[in-house]
Amino acid sequence: MIARLTRHPAVVPIGAVVLAILIGAVVILLAGLNPIDAYAAVLQGSLDVRNLDYTFSVWGFICGMGLVAAIPLRMGEFNLGGNGQLVLGGITAYVVASQLGLPGIVAVPLALIAAMLVSGGFAAVSAPLATRFGIPIIISTLLLSPVAVAVASYLVRFPLAEKGSGNAQTPVLPEDAHIWSLGDLRYTTVGLLLIIAVMVIFYIVDSRSAVGFELRVTGANRRFGEYAGLKPGRLALGAMGSAGAVAGLVGAIIVLSSPYRFIDGALISPGYTFAGLAAALLAGGRPALVPVTAILFTILQVGGASMERTAEVPRQLSDVLQGVVIVILALRVVLDRRRAGAGKDS
Amino acid sequence: MSTAAVELRAISKRFDAVVANDGIDLVLARGTVHAVMGENGAGKSTLMSILFGLVRPDSGDIVVDGETRSFQSPLDAIAAGLGMVHQHFRLFDSMTVAENVVFGAEPTRGGRIDRAAAAERVRSLADRYGLDTDPQARVGDLSAGARQRVEILKALHRDARILILDEPTAVLTPSEVTSLFTVIRRAAEDGTTVVLVTHKIQEVLDVSTEVTVLRDGRVSGRFVTADTTSAELVRAMTGREVEIVANPGTGTLGETVLEVEGVSVTDARLERVSNVSLSVRRGEIVGIAGVSGNGQHDLVAAVLGTTPVSAGRIRLGDHDMTGAPVAARRAAGLAVIPEDRRGEGSAVTMSITENLSLGHHRQPPIGWPTGFGRGWMSLAAARTRASEQISSYDIRTSGEKQPVGSLSGGNAQKVVIARELSFDAPLLIAEQPTQGVDVGAIEAIHGRLLDYRASGRGILLVSHEISELLALADRVLVMFAGEIVAEFDRSRASAERIGAAMAGAAAAAGEEWTA
Ligand SMILES: Nc1ncnc2c1ncn2[C@@H]1O[C@H](COP(=O)(O)OP(=O)(O)O)[C@@H](O)[C@H]1O
Ligand SMILES: [Mg+2]
Repeated sequence: MIARLTRHPAVVPIGAVVLAILIGAVVILLAGLNPIDAYAAVLQGSLDVRNLDYTFSVWGFICGMGLVAAIPLRMGEFNLGGNGQLVLGGITAYVVASQLGLPGIVAVPLALIAAMLVSGGFAAVSAPLATRFGIPIIISTLLLSPVAVAVASYLVRFPLAEKGSGNAQTPVLPEDAHIWSLGDLRYTTVGLLLIIAVMVIFYIVDSRSAVGFELRVTGANRRFGEYAGLKPGRLALGAMGSAGAVAGLVGAIIVLSSPYRFIDGALISPGYTFAGLAAALLAGGRPALVPVTAILFTILQVGGASMERTAEVPRQLSDVLQGVVIVILALRVVLDRRRAGAGKDS
Repeated sequence: MSTAAVELRAISKRFDAVVANDGIDLVLARGTVHAVMGENGAGKSTLMSILFGLVRPDSGDIVVDGETRSFQSPLDAIAAGLGMVHQHFRLFDSMTVAENVVFGAEPTRGGRIDRAAAAERVRSLADRYGLDTDPQARVGDLSAGARQRVEILKALHRDARILILDEPTAVLTPSEVTSLFTVIRRAAEDGTTVVLVTHKIQEVLDVSTEVTVLRDGRVSGRFVTADTTSAELVRAMTGREVEIVANPGTGTLGETVLEVEGVSVTDARLERVSNVSLSVRRGEIVGIAGVSGNGQHDLVAAVLGTTPVSAGRIRLGDHDMTGAPVAARRAAGLAVIPEDRRGEGSAVTMSITENLSLGHHRQPPIGWPTGFGRGWMSLAAARTRASEQISSYDIRTSGEKQPVGSLSGGNAQKVVIARELSFDAPLLIAEQPTQGVDVGAIEAIHGRLLDYRASGRGILLVSHEISELLALADRVLVMFAGEIVAEFDRSRASAERIGAAMAGAAAAAGEEWTA
């Protein structure tokens, strides 16, 4: 009975969260502060009605970056290059929206599409690297990401820099090229709707399409897939391309939203990539669960700041908690795979 | 003094929800060969582990030589005169045969192990029981049969008067089996009580004096071997009558569906398959016999396309498929029941429906192959198709959503078979199609394969079970060390001839039992 309970698929993820919260509490206690106050501040900060507009936009970005990790995770691959893909999308969107002098009705969609294409193409490179040269996707994405970040950083510091500004940032985009906001909300834009649409598409493709089924089979047992004639190389190309495209979309939405410019480091420092990865792992890659687990990391992310303000606990604690969750869940994935590989029935 | 060497009384043991042993009584008369038989999961290994002190029973008594014992560990059991040869060997590969045999009970001289005495002891035991072994050989270099002899010697060295053999023939060639049985008879004549655990009826009839049959953790029959029949044993094992199917004889042969020409497969610089040629035509079942690990699996992988060939050609129907990807070969008309069910033949975490759908998911009724719906699946159609197959293949399950990993081995195998047969491919490769499958289900699978042939398709049947090949195959090829060393027509194939070909090749390689 107990054995059956501990085998329920929700046990490990929930356990990971509980464990992370407990470890966080211990850390706070050791610092001589009150963990209950700290966690209360996290909840208050993130769920404060005056903050909801901002909280929603963060949730959208974490959901988006959650998909960036979840899509390849469906076939058992880890995409650790979300940052590079995100930044590349952002800079592409900026270039298209600012340099081509198009009217807004064209510029915004074109910027979004271009960002998706560039980031998708960039991420897809990892697939042939794995198939042809045997470099695991988890490694190539991790190694290629800083390259993209550096390129974007160079562009924003030199050719695209705002003249006369001390900051490494581009000038503000023309009004016409701002992404449409929803009513008079400041942070939540049409971008959030786009991300929700992408999540719905992922859900449908995952559960109803042949390709989604093939991805899941490959993730469950790659040898089984190959025996049945599936082509993991092609699936990886598609999965990485789509994941990169979503990252590009998120990057573009961020740049086309307030403050309407590309600021070096501004896409990476909020930690959407990391939070998205944690949300995807916590959801086990399941499309329907990513938006749910993203809520948890949104609360941590947004509440972290107010925790720092009211309970004097540094916001880096949020990162520590995310880290603990990721480590536990990554371990689970590795162990599961080893067990599936070694298993023999008799 | 009673004549019973061992009496097990009302032994019960449960693992979580599974009652592995449920009030089992077993009496082993001294100097007899007692077969304990039953289907997979009947509780045989559990009962033997309890007798040998590896597992503590929940209740019940173990009486050895009239004395009630409570074994805390195998050491107590060994002290009481028991010896066990496990289904999986427990030897040190890096040590010699002699060192392994005396391990834990070494002859010493001046406080040090006396190697000469150890070797001498092994030699004399081996002579007495006809167990051919080289005391100085390294165990890691030995064949499965030779390792098993080391295990037996190990038990005999410790003066085991009760010898438990758990499924000892699973790893042996037919001639090794014959020699093992000679050893068993000799030991019994010597006064040793032998317990032979098996699920193979022929072995029970060949070597045992008495039989206890287990079913679902209970005793379902006790027989004196001389007075019983195989039909009676099968009924006790399965609880019902099982009709024996057999190949009714060669039908009309059609065009060639598989042509393998001079194929070699090299893996890690080892030649796994050497220059093999064979063909399969519509309307025939071609069998491949051989002890596991002689290249059969590599040959299958080469035909399927998951392993590249280093030489030769492979044709499916009219198409040269030598370098083609798996998908192209399957599209040209190939279905495969693989040996490694969990590793290759299924995704254990996925549902029965999903496992049954793979490969069929782009074709009607599940997928739309063309037009607007192309690339989409109908989950309802997949479910309907799965429930039809569950009932027609008699897959015992709580529903089509159940993960395949939680099915019993036999039912998981039926899922694989249902999926592959339903491709209706001109060529089916069936690798160990009945392994881990219970007697009743074996017959059903054999019937399916014969129907498949009768419908005008060809089958390449790879099996370690000679009886299976004799029941089904129109021709039998014997594989040894990557080569085809013999071929028999149905009219000339017999267990003796096939076994002799398997063993003849083995003898040439110096791996023979000499009884
Ligand atoms: N260590 C164990 N833990 C849980 N279940 C077990 C264990 N050992 C055996 N079983 C279960 O007990 C039953 C009997 O197994 P076993 O004695 O190995 O059967 P047999 O040797 O006859 O095939 C099976 O259902 C098996 O799954
Ligand atoms: Mg067993």
